[in-house]
Amino acid sequence: MAGKSIAANKVRSFLTMLGIIIGVAAVIILVSLVQGQNKQWKEYYESLGTNRVNVSAYMWNGKDITEDLYEYCLRLDDLVLGVTPNGYYYGNIRYQSKSTDGNREYGTPSIALGSDLYSVCNNYELAMGRDISYLDVQNYNQVVVLGAKLKEYLFDYKNPIGEQISIGGHKFTVIGVYAAKGGTINPYIDYTAVVPYTMNRMLNKNNTFGDFTIKAKSSEATTEVITRVTGFLTGLIDPNYGYFYVYSDNSWMEREDEANRMMSLVLGGIAGISLLVGGIGIMNIMLVTVRERTREIGIRKAIGGSRRSILIQFLIEASVICGTGGILGILLGVLGTLVAGKLIFQLVLYPDVALSLGAVAFSVVLGIAFGMYPAVKASALQPVEALRAE
Amino acid sequence: MKLIELIDAYKIYNEGFENEVRALNGVSLTIEKGEFVSIVGQSGSGKSTLMNILGCLDVPTYGEYFLNGQDVSVMTDAELSKIRSRDVGFIFQGFNLISTLTAYENVELALIYQGVRASQRHDRVMEALERVGLADRAKNRPSQLSGGQQQRVAIARALVTNPSVIMADEPTGALDSKTGQQILDLLKSLNDEGATVILITHNMDLACASHRIIRLSDGKIVEDYRLRGVTA
Ligand SMILES: Nc1ncnc2c1ncn2[C@@H]1O[C@H](COP(=O)(O)OP(=O)(O)OP(=O)(O)O)[C@@H](O)[C@H]1O
Ligand SMILES: [Mg+2]
Repeated sequence: MAGKSIAANKVRSFLTMLGIIIGVAAVIILVSLVQGQNKQWKEYYESLGTNRVNVSAYMWNGKDITEDLYEYCLRLDDLVLGVTPNGYYYGNIRYQSKSTDGNREYGTPSIALGSDLYSVCNNYELAMGRDISYLDVQNYNQVVVLGAKLKEYLFDYKNPIGEQISIGGHKFTVIGVYAAKGGTINPYIDYTAVVPYTMNRMLNKNNTFGDFTIKAKSSEATTEVITRVTGFLTGLIDPNYGYFYVYSDNSWMEREDEANRMMSLVLGGIAGISLLVGGIGIMNIMLVTVRERTREIGIRKAIGGSRRSILIQFLIEASVICGTGGILGILLGVLGTLVAGKLIFQLVLYPDVALSLGAVAFSVVLGIAFGMYPAVKASALQPVEALRAE
Repeated sequence: MKLIELIDAYKIYNEGFENEVRALNGVSLTIEKGEFVSIVGQSGSGKSTLMNILGCLDVPTYGEYFLNGQDVSVMTDAELSKIRSRDVGFIFQGFNLISTLTAYENVELALIYQGVRASQRHDRVMEALERVGLADRAKNRPSQLSGGQQQRVAIARALVTNPSVIMADEPTGALDSKTGQQILDLLKSLNDEGATVILITHNMDLACASHRIIRLSDGKIVEDYRLRGVTA
């Protein structure tokens, strides 16, 4: 009976459903996208590794603090896992006929000038061969460890260990390969290589570094390291000849988290509004038909329908419409989330289950409440009074 | 046997205000089972008001009403709906079919509310529609039917439940005289089969087809006489 009534009131049923579909789908898609972005940033930071302390130092007298900082950090071995300068060399890498200048997708990589603890500081793991050693650094060994993507580009499936490649015209021996990190925000994370930082002089004609990364053991250690290193550098760097800055990625991440939470709130608000608009739409349609329905209820009562049976009929009718709308809304929301996730983040995003169900529950309850409203009111009237509505 | 007993009934709208209307102003009325009663009177004399109260679609402001010996004024909504479903078949001047349902479904609804099982409904609905000559229009919606056809669907809906009383409020008011006559014939044959029939009409020719004529004026019965001696 309720089915017949739904079919017979196609427009009303459809509009009601539409309100629910749009509200539910909008909430799911919007909130999922924000969560997707959150997740992506988290992944990125986690791939870099947490508990990193960055040191920037600028010296006007050309003094290099690399050795001093390196040694100081090694002494903090209960707090620090590793330390490395952050220097880069940009230049063509060649292996036989393959040259990174010819790579249409990624072009020329930046090659990191790192210490033997570069991989520790940047969360790289060795996939094959060996890592850069302390002696490599001290002895100016022309060795290189390749990132997974760069290795793949230059060597394909060939074993690169022991092969000679040319970096900026200088010969380097490949001693190892890092495992792929993957990464959606920064695909270059695997399209890289590391050489001992003492190659700086040869590659960049430069002796000094201004940026360093220290990897602390824990987030508590991070704070302690910042304090200690700040103290150490205060003694080391004469403020007349330079200045320095010590900060951690953790605070960065916290700020980013904060920003994401704000975004979630804003978009959640927008989603809530769309749900509300959908709800008002439902309400309107239901109220507009109150008169028409009141008369129908009058007829039903006049021919013997009890209040209870009429209420049940309206309840089923509203539930079916709103339930269908809710299900379609979820489908559309999931589909929209998948498509938008793919388009915007190149990620497979899954909507939040609790949130989706919440959105459905909200609009279904709203729809049923307003679907029931005329029935509750009209079925309490004397049949004549209900019949008079026109 | 008494089917209807209305004792000193009043229906007063806006009581105590300037615009107070006494639609019924002290009506007492007894109708026996099997009677065919016409209620006549000028427009506004209270005919529909009386009929609505007799059909349990409305309640009197004051007064008592017994249907089948039961006091209607103390009944719950569920009991009233049972009475409307089982005992009363109502035919309205304005048809009052549900526009979104087909003729068949409109008639079936009365059986659904009576709790008749689905397997038995089809035959009874078709029988009722055949009775009013509309079996071939079962799938039409009210908007696809003429006024006379709609009224006959309404009659089918009223008679399908085999009610003890059929009440018709100007069932021919919106119809031409030939169609009106058909409807009257239907009511007469239902009465012949034992149903009590109460008919409101403006048309004295139609009223004269009944056994008893009650004339209302200003909410009061001013005339009540029998044409043929039919008593239960
Ligand atoms: N809801 C209402 N509020 C106020 N007055 C009403 C209401 N319903 C009916 N009346 C008044 O009660 C009186 C009797 O109305 P009723 O409908 O019973 O007349 P009727 O005899 O059926 O007239 P008609 O032949 O035109 O159908 C009228 O004066 C009418 O205006
Ligand atoms: Mg009337």
